[in-house]
Amino acid sequence: MVGFPLASVSMILPLVGSFLVLVLREELARWIALAFSGFVFALSILSLFYFDFSQSHKVQFEEVYPLLPEFNLNLHLGFDGLSYLMYILTALISLTAILWSIRDHQVSHRLKEYYVWFLLTESFLVGVFASLDLMVFYVFYELTLVPMFFAIGIWGYKLRMYSAYKFFIYIFVSSLFLLLGIVSLAVQHYKQFGKYSFYYFDLINNQYSLGFEVFLFFLFFIAFAVKTPIVPFHTWLPDAHGEAPTAGSVVLAAILLKMGTYALLRFNIGLFPEASLFLMPLMVLWGIFSIVFASWFTISQSNVKRFVAYSSVSHMGFVVAGMFLLNAEGLKASITEMFAHGLTSSALFMMAGFIYNRLHSFNMQALRGSIKFMPVFALLVAITGYSSMGLPGGSSFWGKFLTILGAREYTLQLSLLVLAGAFFSVLYMLYLLKVLYLDTREEARLIHFTDIRGFKLLAFLSVVLPMFLVGLLPFLFFAFYEGYIQSLLKHLVLRGGG
Amino acid sequence: MQELVSIQLPDLRLVLPELTVLITGFMLFSLELLFKRLSHAIAISVSLVGYLIALLFITFMPAKGETFFGLYHRDGFSSLLQFFMLLLTMVLLGFHLIYYRKKRSLYGEFYYLLSFALLGGMFLVSSYNLIVLYVALEAVSISFYILTALLRSDFSSKEGAFKYLMLGGLSIALASYGAGFMYLYSGSLDLRYILTHVGENQYFLVLGLVLFLIGFAIKIGAVPFHFWLPDAYQGAPTPITAYMASVGKLAFFAPLVRLMPYVQEHFAYAWVATVSIISAITMLYGNLVALVQKDVKRLLAYSSIAHSGYIMAGIAVAQLIGLKAVIYFLIAYALMGFGSFMVLALLERSEGWENRLEQFSGLRFSAPWLAVSFMLMLLALLGVPPTVGFVGKALVFMSLSSGSLWWLAFVMIVATGISTGYYLRITALMFMRNPSTNLQLALTGWEKALIALLTVSLVLLGAVPIILWGFISPSAENLFVR
Repeated sequence: MVGFPLASVSMILPLVGSFLVLVLREELARWIALAFSGFVFALSILSLFYFDFSQSHKVQFEEVYPLLPEFNLNLHLGFDGLSYLMYILTALISLTAILWSIRDHQVSHRLKEYYVWFLLTESFLVGVFASLDLMVFYVFYELTLVPMFFAIGIWGYKLRMYSAYKFFIYIFVSSLFLLLGIVSLAVQHYKQFGKYSFYYFDLINNQYSLGFEVFLFFLFFIAFAVKTPIVPFHTWLPDAHGEAPTAGSVVLAAILLKMGTYALLRFNIGLFPEASLFLMPLMVLWGIFSIVFASWFTISQSNVKRFVAYSSVSHMGFVVAGMFLLNAEGLKASITEMFAHGLTSSALFMMAGFIYNRLHSFNMQALRGSIKFMPVFALLVAITGYSSMGLPGGSSFWGKFLTILGAREYTLQLSLLVLAGAFFSVLYMLYLLKVLYLDTREEARLIHFTDIRGFKLLAFLSVVLPMFLVGLLPFLFFAFYEGYIQSLLKHLVLRGGG
Repeated sequence: MQELVSIQLPDLRLVLPELTVLITGFMLFSLELLFKRLSHAIAISVSLVGYLIALLFITFMPAKGETFFGLYHRDGFSSLLQFFMLLLTMVLLGFHLIYYRKKRSLYGEFYYLLSFALLGGMFLVSSYNLIVLYVALEAVSISFYILTALLRSDFSSKEGAFKYLMLGGLSIALASYGAGFMYLYSGSLDLRYILTHVGENQYFLVLGLVLFLIGFAIKIGAVPFHFWLPDAYQGAPTPITAYMASVGKLAFFAPLVRLMPYVQEHFAYAWVATVSIISAITMLYGNLVALVQKDVKRLLAYSSIAHSGYIMAGIAVAQLIGLKAVIYFLIAYALMGFGSFMVLALLERSEGWENRLEQFSGLRFSAPWLAVSFMLMLLALLGVPPTVGFVGKALVFMSLSSGSLWWLAFVMIVATGISTGYYLRITALMFMRNPSTNLQLALTGWEKALIALLTVSLVLLGAVPIILWGFISPSAENLFVR
């Protein structure tokens, strides 16, 4: 079973689905999309039984299809522990997004296109996480832009076209630096080993002078810092997330941002260990800076969707700061937080979309106290809020706790700084919960609030339940990437001498 | 007939495709002369059959070598470019008829001018000799001047053709003047000999080469020698614009590509400096001006200038990888430019269509599949993977990295960033706005098939790069072997 072409099947299934959506009747579109994203999710869960967790630092389910032998360019797919976890997240969140879209008022026209774009996104995202070949990674990384551009621009809210442009231009232009970086790595490999290669485990052997390595590091970093995003490169995010349809925001926040952090971890740290060690203090402080500033931006938002979007930026600060601590705790925290944020942010965006369907407003003032008329929904949102805050038992707890622990390994001051960041992120979430629950609402009688039910409840549960899983049984998740982290640290010691 | 030729003049085997096109051209010419009312079906079938035979010669008789005492040089590179030239000319003949009928400018001259332009292009890609290049350049250019002016009722067509004629004449004058200096320096007309020759008075060589390059820079529309291009592209009948942007580009770039292996010896540094600076200015200027255009045809003309800049960035790196990148990008742009102008040609047939930007809004509702095709072409021009445009850009980046021309790579990133604005605007208008005009567009099945073919080839040749690469790589390596 280890030879099973998991990645390519998971990529082809949504493609088949989108083809069927195109040719069959429009009423069937949502059910076909649901079925095919369900298949991929089922496949990802089934494959858990065949994934060898004791060898999680090794690439499993590996496939190689040659593309351009002269450049040693192959469609090289496979999963190690890290990318496997991201793959499962992708399968889960894609299913959630499509479940949510089924009864979303925003998605009432051009259904065929809508589901085609979402299925394509799923396929490309699997490609991003499964690629072991940097050029192929880049191809999928860029391809995810196109469906999202259309999803925001066609089904978004008022400022949709502006936001779609901004999203595409920011990420496209920044990723051109990544393209330059990737081809430079191949050229360097040619200069050092006499043959071109885009294969990750070939490029890992390249040697550079520190200055050049830092230069290459930043070529990669620009792209991923915009994608992640890190303050001050975040300005596309509130627009894109704020104006996208709910399912689009869910996919954007839960997976597309993870592409940035995943790539930072895998490529920036994996390929440029010396530069990473050299730049470590800068990057950690940058991450903390990002947490604090994004938290302040968050509190000042009056639009609840932009509020959630900014909170994503602050969470990503934790991921970046934790990752660049470059020790076991920090890396573990970072990856756990990636997964946890995927769950909480998508739940929060669904919350925003759900309230919008009731009140037709994203304004914080309009939402005051609205949630208490919907008890089930209120419970789910409360769980999400506390999880996101980092309360023990919630999903973000381990991310924050381990980051602080990792920082303590260096100095007490650093860990206090992280703690301060964590404090701010609690602050805005408490503020949101206060507005939703505690503020009084006079005209409640005039609006009929229907509680969450049906497909939307299912979608919400599909991300709330795993939150407990992360919070209460974190070792289940550590098992995915323990091996990966050990091998990365070994690589860092070997190459960086740190 | 072919057998006869091969028995009497064995040398001619290498120029069989060119001979076929020449004969086709003269047949069309005499048909037009003899019959007052030439049936277009006959003219089209004669051209198609002629080009098809030429295409078959290229495909199945891949002869290599020199003939006419070294004046004519056929190798993998020339066969590859000639293949695409013939193919695109044949595709063009599937489109032009309804367009020209609609514009009431359908003349028999069209067919033989097209084949003479093609013939000139085929010569231009397969010679190192200055005289042959000069004659071929004239053959392509004069045909293009007339073809540009062939919209008889349209004033801008005349204006474009006149500008093209003036600057084109200047470019040929400069190129031939430069050729004279190079002859003075080396006593030879063969570019390979001139560039490897060590003689006195290097000034003559530099002066001659600079003049020669300026001549070609005018032809390919490099800034600051581009002034004719937007007017000519906009004024010309749209199928001819597509033709100039594809076959014209392939032809005019070919001699520059042939120079690349020979510049290393004497003036590697001067070459890199000159070409890279012109390339940077060209891509920035082309994209910046395209950004503010309201007319999509003119916008695509400026985008064509910008693409000349990208290709020149590859030419600046006079290494093997740069050479491969340039050949790939040339073919890629020929396909993309041809396809995008062809979509405009189809749209122009509908009533009241003026290529204005806002007319594209909601195209997805009135012509869904054409909108999808045009979107894919625009994304290819922008360089979104996995299209040919992306592979071309990645290869150019690769060669810039290989030649350590970092500044030019960053300029290219900025230029591509600027271009995002206008390609994306058209895409967004087509898909995210409601239709503004009521578009009546009836495409024949034939046209649909050809547009689909072009679109699919843009994606397929990019996603499976080995198809093109298998031809490009050996022919580029062959160019580098002295």
